[in-house]
Amino acid sequence: MKGEQLRRALEGYIDKMPPLPTSVGKVLEICQKPNAQPSDLNKVISLDPVLLARVMKLINSAYYGLTQEVTSLVRAIIMLGLNTVKNLALSTAVLGSLNTAHTKNAVLNLDGFWLHSLCVGVTAKHLARLRNVAAQDQETYFFCGLLHDIGKVPLNNRAPEDYLVALQASGDQRISLVQAEAATLEFTHTDAGALIINAWKLSEDIRDVVAYHHSPLDYQGSFRDLVFTVLVADYFANILEIGFSGNRFPTPPPAEVYRTLGLKWLQVEALEDQVRQEIERAKVFLKLT
Amino acid sequence: MNVTLWGVRGSIPCPGPTTVRYGGNTLCLELRYGAANRLVIVDAGSGIRPLGVQLMKTDFPKGPIDAKILFSHTHWDHIMGFPFFTPVFLPTSKLEIFGPVTFEEDTLDKVIGGQMQYRYFPVTMAELAAQMTYHRLQETVLNFDDGLVVKTKYLNHPITCLGYRFEHEGKVIVTMFDHEPFRNLFATDADDPNHDPEVFEEGERAAAEENARIDAFMAGADVVLHDAQYTQKEYLKGRKGWGHSSMEWAINSAVRSKVKKLVLIHHDPERTDDQIDELEKHYRTAIASRTPAGRRPLDFEFAREGMVL
Repeated sequence: MKGEQLRRALEGYIDKMPPLPTSVGKVLEICQKPNAQPSDLNKVISLDPVLLARVMKLINSAYYGLTQEVTSLVRAIIMLGLNTVKNLALSTAVLGSLNTAHTKNAVLNLDGFWLHSLCVGVTAKHLARLRNVAAQDQETYFFCGLLHDIGKVPLNNRAPEDYLVALQASGDQRISLVQAEAATLEFTHTDAGALIINAWKLSEDIRDVVAYHHSPLDYQGSFRDLVFTVLVADYFANILEIGFSGNRFPTPPPAEVYRTLGLKWLQVEALEDQVRQEIERAKVFLKLT
Repeated sequence: MNVTLWGVRGSIPCPGPTTVRYGGNTLCLELRYGAANRLVIVDAGSGIRPLGVQLMKTDFPKGPIDAKILFSHTHWDHIMGFPFFTPVFLPTSKLEIFGPVTFEEDTLDKVIGGQMQYRYFPVTMAELAAQMTYHRLQETVLNFDDGLVVKTKYLNHPITCLGYRFEHEGKVIVTMFDHEPFRNLFATDADDPNHDPEVFEEGERAAAEENARIDAFMAGADVVLHDAQYTQKEYLKGRKGWGHSSMEWAINSAVRSKVKKLVLIHHDPERTDDQIDELEKHYRTAIASRTPAGRRPLDFEFAREGMVL
């Protein structure tokens, strides 16, 4: 499958997309407890791009018809109540535990992918902090980092054989994965990400991060700092090989990105210890160690 | 526009010698408005049964029953009277039914009709003769006949629950059941191993903003009927998260929102008539002592079956 055909296949898959296998066990454990703690629920959802996107989709959906957009998970839990969020997480997680076919065929190791997503989220948040972004906005940097590659999930799960071709092309030709996807599939993970963002009606900042994190200089919108920060965090995760995004030949961020953010690569690199520690805490929470 | 209370009790009907004066039926409220004396009912607790009996005497002889029934939510104490509401058995009755449904549950008719299966009740939903239509509600504004505007607002309860603000010819009546103040659900104790300062701050902000939106929803109302199942002491003693307010919260909230008259409702089934009398005295004194000189103290009452507002 490629191009339009691939798009249609992914569209059908998106609505029943399960969370990443890495977090499924913990989600089930937390949500099946009668006295689930809000902080545990918040943590486990925040650590999974699919679950996080689904909860944010629900609260901002026509189902609730809220007039103001809710962009924080903490607020979503307080407004919707623990039970609703717990049920939603549980029903999403069950999809993952019942349907394991997708993980068998997966060409991209999903634990590695999860680690990459988490690393980009954590790094983006630390970069925001370094740049004195207001505390309440730092969470947005985390969300956007966590979700930036979400388009790879349906590609990997729904069209693993085709995706393998793209991954191999990237390795053989020593080009970035997004270039290899375009060349072999005529459809990239940023295109697949856009399908999810549109289908789930996620906010514009996440949409722009997903769409432009490989083409920053084309970006004309109003979330420039956010897009650029996630791009730098993505590069950081790839270069330090924390997790695996499938992108073994990442394109270094253009100088303009660093200039705009007022950052130097050395400052980014210096975050390594903090980022690794935070990831370790998440792994302990998910009992991965 | 006026309101008659047919059920004021929360959780479960509790008839008996200690609930004679305030009443033992669960929530049901009859709202009448306009020259045509149109009928809106809020919630179908056990109080809707005597309301049905009354309607058969007063309204039915003049023509078919035509009513809108609004559910605050679908917990049992708010729907249990529905199968005993006589007009549902008459083919001429026209009932439009509105209410919220918790995400991923069945549709509204199935949630309410779930109690009408042979294992629980001798008549099923399909056997009801009335012409009934169901509408799932969100936060919205509805325009009913003859100029009644109904605004809805999500409340804080373990399932999706709506408050209603009725506006007609300048008069405003608001129902606030079942509702617990929004609160920060995230570890507030700095020594708690789950404490995360950023999450905590966001939780504080979210709860405060949602409570402010509730105040705005009640603002300036002529009458607010507010859940007040517990005293503040009872609330703090293991009843947080149960989805109900304390009397103190309801009173303070009404004062902040410049409500003209507050009616405390959804009484705990354990609350006796004498206790309610005592509580009323207690809060009257407390409110008077805290009202600045020259201002009128908040007008409030405990809801009583048969009360007309």
